[in-house]
Amino acid sequence: MGRITQLKPLSDISTPEINLAITRSVVSLADNQRIMVVGNSAGQLVEFDFSSQNSTSEKAKSEKPTSRPFESGHSSYVTGVGSTKGGIVSVGYDRKMIWWDPLERTVLREIVAHDKWIRRIAVSPDGTTIATVADDMHCKLWNAISGELMFVLDDHQPVTPHHYPSMLYAVAFSASGEQLATGDKVGHIAIWETQTGRKLGELESPGMYTWDPKARRHSIGGIRSLAFSHSGSSIAVGGIGAIGNVDHLDGPARVEIFDWQQAKSLVQLSDTAMKGLVEQLHFSNDDSQLITAGGDNNGFITIYDLATNKIDVQAKAHQHLHGMIVDEASQRLYAAHHGKVSMWELQDQPVA
Amino acid sequence: MSLFSQGQWPTRIPPHNGLRGIETASQLRDGTSRRGFLKASLAGTAFAASMHQLDILQSPALASELKRQQKHVILIWLAGGASQLETWDPKPGRATGGPFAAIQTNVTGVSISELLPKMSQRMHHSAIIRSLNTKNADHGGAAKIMETGRAVDQGIPCPDLGAMIAHELGRADSQVPDYVSMYSSTEGRRQGGSGFLGGRYAPMFLTEQMIPENTSRLESLSELDHSARSDLRSFLANRFREGRPDLSVDSHNSAYQRVRGIMSSANLFNIELEPMDVRARYGPTQFGEQCLIARRLVEAGVPFVKVARAWWDSHGQNFETHLELVTELDHVLATLIDDLEERGLLEHTLIATFGEFGRTPQINSSLGRDHFASAWSASLHGTGIRGGSVYGKTDADGLKVIDGEVNAADLFATIFQAIGIDYRKEYHVGARPVPITDFGGKPIRDILL
Repeated sequence: MGRITQLKPLSDISTPEINLAITRSVVSLADNQRIMVVGNSAGQLVEFDFSSQNSTSEKAKSEKPTSRPFESGHSSYVTGVGSTKGGIVSVGYDRKMIWWDPLERTVLREIVAHDKWIRRIAVSPDGTTIATVADDMHCKLWNAISGELMFVLDDHQPVTPHHYPSMLYAVAFSASGEQLATGDKVGHIAIWETQTGRKLGELESPGMYTWDPKARRHSIGGIRSLAFSHSGSSIAVGGIGAIGNVDHLDGPARVEIFDWQQAKSLVQLSDTAMKGLVEQLHFSNDDSQLITAGGDNNGFITIYDLATNKIDVQAKAHQHLHGMIVDEASQRLYAAHHGKVSMWELQDQPVA
Repeated sequence: MSLFSQGQWPTRIPPHNGLRGIETASQLRDGTSRRGFLKASLAGTAFAASMHQLDILQSPALASELKRQQKHVILIWLAGGASQLETWDPKPGRATGGPFAAIQTNVTGVSISELLPKMSQRMHHSAIIRSLNTKNADHGGAAKIMETGRAVDQGIPCPDLGAMIAHELGRADSQVPDYVSMYSSTEGRRQGGSGFLGGRYAPMFLTEQMIPENTSRLESLSELDHSARSDLRSFLANRFREGRPDLSVDSHNSAYQRVRGIMSSANLFNIELEPMDVRARYGPTQFGEQCLIARRLVEAGVPFVKVARAWWDSHGQNFETHLELVTELDHVLATLIDDLEERGLLEHTLIATFGEFGRTPQINSSLGRDHFASAWSASLHGTGIRGGSVYGKTDADGLKVIDGEVNAADLFATIFQAIGIDYRKEYHVGARPVPITDFGGKPIRDILL
């Protein structure tokens, strides 16, 4: 598990859809293959097999990833997918949560999980618990195997201070699975104990929310991503900083890191070179680096060195990047973009 | 003391008993004019009582005049361009459709965006036009087209919709403004104008404050002094007018009367005078408050009120922006319709919602939609329209109009017809005839009563 030293695009495949979420398939975990499942704007889940990139054959490496769709299930954008002990689970703007057989790519179970758009799903590290967040402003904890609702966590206001509907965008488990964090449109963050559903603390990152009271009279922004450090002491939140013209994502890609137990902001990272929403966050295994990804019209992947809080490595990505996962060895990064799914190499000396 | 200065206003408007304006070509052809008609009728309720004796409906011109009585228009200007796909012409399940579902309305077979649940239950008061092709997708140029109803520069300053309706429906003796326009946001702010109709029909334009500025009596002047000065001015003016039957003298006097009326009607803009439960219905947003003011103005007899809700120009994060703005539009528009209906005003009031254009069916990589004038929607609610009607059709992806294409002139002709204004009317600027509806414009009869 080495340090991330590069962002080298290895392979990609174009799609007509907007790809919004990505997870590694349970199948690929079993077979040590590189099979990803992507949720998209057509309400589909699609399996992409990047395994040819493992081959030593140059011919095989040059092959495009293959894709296979799941059977139909959602009727609107699929905004979250996760690999659980109960199979692949997806959520969408149709308010549904669907469990899938990863081999057959068929529906196992389907429920209406929330009253409004479901924005994101997170899966506990042991794969047994699912957290979902939605615009009904609830975070719900589910048993990933039985589908039983365990807790409904409420701490986020349904209406912004300016009297418009708020949104609950982001959710993440800690590495231990003992804590959970949720983040909303106006920059409020709540930390929860997953075993009891008890609120452990709260944080504020108001710089993630821009309200234009004069020129355009609407808002933009929100906490779009969350990640706990592996040590469990820090939480990173991602979004976009202050925007002059709220018609566009023309604002700095913004990250704020907190010591959540002390309720203390540690650092604010802001990048105006590659702008837009920080949609994804991931701490490297030793917590020395933070991978951020997102974009405006264009996409970006930016890796910060957390010793210096400077950009370590940065790459422009194809259009807006919505979803991202990093493999356990921090060797490969897989991304879901507007119109593309891609794979990147993160180390110049890959682990065999 | 006027009714308004006592902090009261009528719950129902007395019938208009005086109209003025330039004579029109069509009226001259009929040999009938509004002035002539009004001379034949008596004021207020006496006018209504005399209808049978006049056998008014036997004369098309007089019937039109009657239809025009008490009519009002509230234009909700969706500045920046609202998305037709997230409002009146959803395309669920298509690549261009975005994430929102469509919901069935209370009119069988008519579905609209799920962002409009309240309006979905008021479709019986509503007509949707889904086939506007106005060709210009530049903010400034498109706004000019949708303000004036004219796609081609006429070479003369043309009046906007509000000025034309103020001209047609306003009253010379009115104690309230004929045209009030509210535009608080700074982006895309446009005052509009009365063009060749002259300053008399220009809007009372409110931006930062909703209570008009400079309408209160100077503090250094007592009410008694103010009244005495006014009486003296009237006395001198009347003596001057004797033996001088001159329009300009009359105009001078009526201008003073209007100023006094506007000063005394400042309370109309003060929503703190509304009961709390009424204010709560409209909600706490500025747009809600402005629509409540619009209702107060209409109730008091103002013919045309424009409420601009800016700014819909969602090049990025279109769906998040429309979640905010359409949710607000749905609530406020539904509340306005209900409030007008409960007060018996909806049968006299037309509400129109549109902006300068719609938004692209294609979704850009910021999850935004860009400017689009080729196939977009407007809505009409209230008087004169066939509730539950939908006119025109776009293709499956909303990329083009495939049935019933209409333009700005057609939309304006429809609005005129709905409130009893002859859309074929012509103004004369010098010797030049200028039609009230741009050349070729025709009302959409399928959505009119």
